[in-house]
Amino acid sequence: MTDDAVLATLIAQIRDVVPELEGHPIARADSMVDLGVNSIERNEVLLLTLQALQLDISPTKLVGPRNIGELADLLHAKLAG
Amino acid sequence: MSVGIEALNIHGGAAYLDVRELCAHRGLDIPRFENLLIREKTVALPWEDPVSFAVNAARPILDRMTPEARARIEMVVTCTESGIDFGKSMSTYVQDLLGLGRNCRLFEIKQACYSGTAGLQMAVNFILSGTSPGAKALVIATDISRFALADAAAIQEWAYSEPTSGAGAVALLVGEEPHVLRIDPGAYGNHAFEVMDTCRPGPDTEAGDADLSLMAYLECCEGAFKDYARRVEGADFRESFAYLCFHTPFGGMVKGAHRHLMRRLYKAAPAEIEADFARRMAPSLAYGARVGNTAGASVFLALAGVIDTAGLTAPQRVGLFAYGSGCCSEFLSGVVGEGAPGLLAEMGIARKLDARYRLSMAEYEHLLRGEGIARFGTKNLAIDAGAVPGARRNADGTPRLVLEAVVNYHRQYAWV
Repeated sequence: MTDDAVLATLIAQIRDVVPELEGHPIARADSMVDLGVNSIERNEVLLLTLQALQLDISPTKLVGPRNIGELADLLHAKLAG
Repeated sequence: MSVGIEALNIHGGAAYLDVRELCAHRGLDIPRFENLLIREKTVALPWEDPVSFAVNAARPILDRMTPEARARIEMVVTCTESGIDFGKSMSTYVQDLLGLGRNCRLFEIKQACYSGTAGLQMAVNFILSGTSPGAKALVIATDISRFALADAAAIQEWAYSEPTSGAGAVALLVGEEPHVLRIDPGAYGNHAFEVMDTCRPGPDTEAGDADLSLMAYLECCEGAFKDYARRVEGADFRESFAYLCFHTPFGGMVKGAHRHLMRRLYKAAPAEIEADFARRMAPSLAYGARVGNTAGASVFLALAGVIDTAGLTAPQRVGLFAYGSGCCSEFLSGVVGEGAPGLLAEMGIARKLDARYRLSMAEYEHLLRGEGIARFGTKNLAIDAGAVPGARRNADGTPRLVLEAVVNYHRQYAWV
């Protein structure tokens, strides 16, 4: 899976968890905090994204990224093992 | 053999703070406050410590027992992350102050907010072991948060934990006549792993990462339920439990965890999730919303909320989820007995919460400075009984235990 495909999966989960963001542009440089996604929703996005990517790792290993692009990069790296 | 909770009581302290007033005072975002689903938080006064909370929770239960039944309490477990000594457990004070017999196993359990459930399981398995037929155990989860928030930097750092951190204790009498909650033996699931989400590295200090803690909580509620389902044939999160009681750091966390499980397990739509939450979980928030996060006690506050406010008319199975940072979690279940609402009503939990003294912001901020507080390691101290006039005695005249002094590390208590 390409990095862009991981990003698209992540963005799809954000829109799924926060339907209000439907139609709102979301880019790599955006952070979920800036998009108004609250802490519980952010964690739900992570868990759903891991499920969609069939990545069997603890979401607690995904701490650190400052925006959606960095989170997609980290997930992509985890997919590559 | 039946086993479980024979009696349950909560002590929600002597004084509380209105959380909306606190958020406005601190300049916190009110929509975020609304998501917390907390209205009031208990604030521990200088004469309240985890021992006084524990004993005040247990005494109404003991007062209703015959001397013969009290003599069968053969284990007292205190469960806490607010310990007052590295060696001596608070259960030793509890045994003495409640006048319990000396043929008693006394110890303390620590695993953050999971402690109360660990204590319950120790007691349940002691009873199930059959090594002392007819014995009872007293399990008390007691926690206070008395963080030193006096300086501006600390207030900033703890902006969103200050409104939620509370104080309280729950006492559970565990034995073979479980009128309040009959545990489903063998029906449990665990999920645990090392993570540094939150910790208490020193007296009255807390450190950690709130986001990481939320992640660990969500992962654990799913993992613990799946382990439960692995052990219990036919277990179904949506169908098996009439009510759900989760550890409640704040109500919004519980709502998020429920939503996550409903989406993850059933791909449920938002309207179904909302209706299910209102039906099966909202009653569990009744008391947590009034005392704040009580750590090890909170899952049992949730249980008390269901029993007291859900309008139960027949035995009902409940699912309980406990999570303690660090982390360890457990999903377990039991059946609330037909007589449970009547037994709990005798404790008058809501009435006692109503009777607490409402602190002004000025009184609260004075307390935050921590003057005259018996901290961990305090050697000698006389407690100022006049610190918050009007909050000293129970409004209904029933006796209340208070901390009077610390003499050479030994805590001295009195009934007032």
